Amino acid sequence: DEIGLIPCPEARYNRSPIVLVENKLGVESWCVKFLLPYVHNKLLLYRQRKQWLNKDDQLFSLQCFLQMLNPDFTTAWNVRKELILSGTLNPLKDLHLGKLALTKFPKSPETWIHRRWVLQQLIQENSLPSLVTKGNLGAAPVERIHRLVQEEMNVCSEAAGRYPSNYNAWSHRIWVLQHLGKLTVKVLLDELSSTKYWVSMHVSDHSGFHYRQFLLKSLIGRTVTDTSVLVQNQMINEQNPNLQKEEEEESAGAEAACAEEQSVDLPRHLEEELELCTELIDTYPGHETLWCHSDETLNNSHHSPATSHMAQAMDVDGLNESSSKQGYTQETKRLKRAPMQDSLGPELEYRFIDKVLSTCRDVDQARFATAYRKWLVTFLGQ
Amino acid sequence: MRLYSLSVLYKGDPKVHLLKAAYDVSTFNFFQRSSVQEFMTFTSQLIVERSELGSRASVKEQDYLCHVYVRNDGLAGVVIADNEYPQRVCFTLLDKVLDEFSRQVSKVDWPSGSPATISYAALDGYLSKYQNPRDADPMTRVQAELDETKIILARKQNSCCEIM
Repeated sequence: DEIGLIPCPEARYNRSPIVLVENKLGVESWCVKFLLPYVHNKLLLYRQRKQWLNKDDQLFSLQCFLQMLNPDFTTAWNVRKELILSGTLNPLKDLHLGKLALTKFPKSPETWIHRRWVLQQLIQENSLPSLVTKGNLGAAPVERIHRLVQEEMNVCSEAAGRYPSNYNAWSHRIWVLQHLGKLTVKVLLDELSSTKYWVSMHVSDHSGFHYRQFLLKSLIGRTVTDTSVLVQNQMINEQNPNLQKEEEEESAGAEAACAEEQSVDLPRHLEEELELCTELIDTYPGHETLWCHSDETLNNSHHSPATSHMAQAMDVDGLNESSSKQGYTQETKRLKRAPMQDSLGPELEYRFIDKVLSTCRDVDQARFATAYRKWLVTFLGQ
Repeated sequence: MRLYSLSVLYKGDPKVHLLKAAYDVSTFNFFQRSSVQEFMTFTSQLIVERSELGSRASVKEQDYLCHVYVRNDGLAGVVIADNEYPQRVCFTLLDKVLDEFSRQVSKVDWPSGSPATISYAALDGYLSKYQNPRDADPMTRVQAELDETKIILARKQNSCCEIM
């Protein structure tokens, strides 16, 4: 489940340089300079002559393994792409190889890029009705995707832990959510809660917090979309009462419930995020990342649907006088919520800053607090 | 944020020796772990040698911070952590550990002790518990005793890390 290089400049014993201990594969460093060029050339040769379809398994395995020591060798990944397309290679096995490569090279861009290609292949396969081949074990497509997503989250988490500020890993994570997870609210909320511990333990790693910003922004975006769909549905229903089917009503009702849920949760999540920041800033003084995250979160909370819906609500009312009571009530609820949120945020923040400045000893912390206050004044002054 | 090692040493005259240590190298690549551990042992010893009796210091070494506390009676503790881990908590931990150690292990045994002969088993537990500073030490704001100490942040210039 892990690979590594054993620093061993000379061959001391006449034995294989490959070491397997507790399920971890190691290669003594002295052999690398011999083997890599050999494998490289062999690979190119095979490719030229298209001979790998003869399945010289041993050599192929060796190639795989040594490729892991040089994961940015694009040609090798492309060979694997061809093999996957021709059906010789199981994409899941390829993902596993990539995962191993990432244990040693958690940043390797080529590995992540190739991984996304393989995942895309799997998505396409998944949408085909006829697939029992390639050892997918016949699980339901939705479940398969879910498992894939979970696995990717794990891989990203591990890679992020092995290398500080591993934006490649976090970007991949975002990509997976967008393309496999479809950015559903459930997925977003799950991710928010599962990364909370990680960011608390990596307080100066901005990439983790950046990911949380993405999650929050997506949640905001989600709420806006779903609620405007709801409003539109309401309008349609009003305009065409005869065409109102029970299903439409139900779905509008369900969406109303969801939208209501989401709009209830969103301010709370933003507040929680700010609270998390505050708590971490207090506990671990002197980390600029945390202050930046506070900035961002406050910024987002001001652009949340609470404020944008005030504008929307006016429009809706203006355009369509016969909008249903239900829709209007929801808008007014949001309107009521909006001013409260706006005024609470900055007040609390000012008080927090003052407290920090009066009690902290860390020079950096004081500097960050002062800068944050300046930012708040400028931002709110507009 | 992470703690990598916690060790108790004795600053004798002239030599420093290790009495007991605990390590957490799980975040390192499997095949590097033993050499990383050796490096930490060596560094801890070196730092105590270079520190005076009755001093506390934090020394930056590559991406790590080595926090050392040498008591007036020669008992010393070193915590090697990353640069996110709060310094305050490290020194609180060192105080605590050395205090407990001095009560459990008789002073007579210090000058000649070694990890094999010393029976003090709490280091592993502390290292593991303190991985999350908030769980381990809710009173992380205890500042009073630290106000008087001189914390020096110094960069190692010499060749003690050629081993890496």
